[in-house]
Amino acid sequence: MSEAITLLAMFKDIEPASEGIEKLQQLGLSDDDMNVISGIPVKHTILGRPSAITYVSRIGLFGAILGMFLGIFFIYGIPYLYPLLVGGQPIFPVPQGFIITFEMTMLGLMGFSFIGMFIDSGFPSYTPKEYTPEVSDGRIALLFSCPASEQEKFIDALKDAGAESVAPAEARHL
Amino acid sequence: MATLAKPLARPHAEEHEDPRQYLMHDPLPRGQMNAMVMEAMHETNPIFWAITGVLAAIVLFALGYEWYILIMQGQGTAGVLRPDYWGVFLVNTVFWIGISHAGTFISAILRVLKIESRRPFTRAAELMTTFGLVQAGLSIFMHLGRVWLVYWMFPIPNERRIWPDFHSPLMWDLMAITTYLLCSTMYLFLPLIPDLAMARDRTKGGWLKQFYKILSIGFRGTEGEWKNLTTAMNIFAFAIIPVMFSVHTIVSWDFAMASRPGWSSTVFGPYFVIGALHSGMAAVAIVLFLLRSSMKHYKYFIRAEQFNTIGTLMLLVSMAWAYFYFNDYLVPWYGGDVWDKLVQEYTEKGPLAYLWYTMLIVNIAVPWATLWNKKWRETPWLLAIVGLLINVGMYLERYIIIPVGVTINRMPFTWRQYEPRIEIPMTIGTFALFLLLYMVASRLIPLIPVWEVQEGQEAHMIRKIGKAEISTLSDME
Repeated sequence: MSEAITLLAMFKDIEPASEGIEKLQQLGLSDDDMNVISGIPVKHTILGRPSAITYVSRIGLFGAILGMFLGIFFIYGIPYLYPLLVGGQPIFPVPQGFIITFEMTMLGLMGFSFIGMFIDSGFPSYTPKEYTPEVSDGRIALLFSCPASEQEKFIDALKDAGAESVAPAEARHL
Repeated sequence: MATLAKPLARPHAEEHEDPRQYLMHDPLPRGQMNAMVMEAMHETNPIFWAITGVLAAIVLFALGYEWYILIMQGQGTAGVLRPDYWGVFLVNTVFWIGISHAGTFISAILRVLKIESRRPFTRAAELMTTFGLVQAGLSIFMHLGRVWLVYWMFPIPNERRIWPDFHSPLMWDLMAITTYLLCSTMYLFLPLIPDLAMARDRTKGGWLKQFYKILSIGFRGTEGEWKNLTTAMNIFAFAIIPVMFSVHTIVSWDFAMASRPGWSSTVFGPYFVIGALHSGMAAVAIVLFLLRSSMKHYKYFIRAEQFNTIGTLMLLVSMAWAYFYFNDYLVPWYGGDVWDKLVQEYTEKGPLAYLWYTMLIVNIAVPWATLWNKKWRETPWLLAIVGLLINVGMYLERYIIIPVGVTINRMPFTWRQYEPRIEIPMTIGTFALFLLLYMVASRLIPLIPVWEVQEGQEAHMIRKIGKAEISTLSDME
């Protein structure tokens, strides 16, 4: 198998970019070998791509459960360790329990969703990456790797689809 | 010739609205919008720096020197004395928490409901949440007096070998405000990441480049990154709404859980929440007016439609506030409890009755008299004035509830009229700090979420149906 090369194709709009993706798929390129970089989120069905997998919700759910138990500990565990009778109220009340448990559950859910977004995306990352600043100005970049010996075939196909440029991708400091 | 229709109105000019007057139908290339936002951030003039300097001086004096005096000489320098142990510092706390509700309301609820005109000003509102909560937190510390003992409220055993009592509404408050501050700051940061990446790409060098590089955390905009980001944003948008409601409900319980006349009310929770939204929405109107007037190119992003949206919400919230206020007023009035009656009479006929009447006029009469008119709602300066008046009214409302309300208790020999002292400069300090933080932020981070604006513009199109051009929206999310 010949050496692989990573190319970056630039498109002005979503329409030609989705055409380009289709061309690459027709040429036998796997969906795992390409990535779309854009300045706005573009639904996977618009691009004709499978949906990206995310673990953010699951990590968030884990955080919510953790937060819930922490809340339960605060409201029931602490009075168990250090009972403090105030105003004749019970040491282990149910209604008040909901308040702290709710707050801690929500803090856990959102805190872990936030952390999950970092973990799942590999943030923060300051190592060189294939990127071009034109993306934040509205261009759509299609990043893909293909056999170096066949790159001309891929470049021609993408230019036919409307790519403004197709060039070897350079990893650079962002 | 026979007439086949009832008399018809001649078409007015406004019936032929050009859809391009709306931001979503007036797209510019993304690069141009980026350039406009960056230029607005980095172009300053001497007036800006003069105002910043004055605000910084006020903050140093009020929150540095005056607070030092308060700490060194004790709470006696404030106007708090039996029975008014709760004074202006707590009025400020409740007021700033109220202001902070606007960000979540605009950003989360309008996002969930897909109100498109929200797009250009979500960040301006979210910033109000974070900076408002900073002032609320500081105000609690001012009220605390011995601020170095704050760790007694943390869930760790202290030197007295006791843990905080989580059965106390004050502890619920600490937990709720902390949760809200942390979550709203994270929620501010998430949609900011792509704009920070844009700022990173457009900044050539120097410390600002490093600043954006660090804060943009290596974001490029790959499919996976967008998926993770939008998933997290969706979780936040839904989850932060009940937290927002819980925060001001719990703040209200600080009062309502006490068996005091005027405070012990079952309607206090929703009444406080709607009051928070009332002041928060009004504050958004003021901020939008200031941003549009002072920031270059912002007239493109913040248009009449945004003011119309805010104005409509202000009117609705004003009606809801009036409804809850009347509920809270009528039941004790009808009940005829002697202490409740005394509180009401003191509020309406006592030496501070003018505060009560001013509150009712600016919170109800002014918005109802002005905001029913679309043209007036779309007039930025007018909406800002109404917003300012509402905030005065809402501040008075908190003042009436806290120091005025606490004056009338079941021990008439303790009654006295509260007069704030060191609280006044320190209150001015919180307002100055809020403005200062906002002004600094306006030069460091893009206040317009450009990617959200572009996303909205991509989804909108104008379709000709019959003789009219109709706005249509595609579901691209």
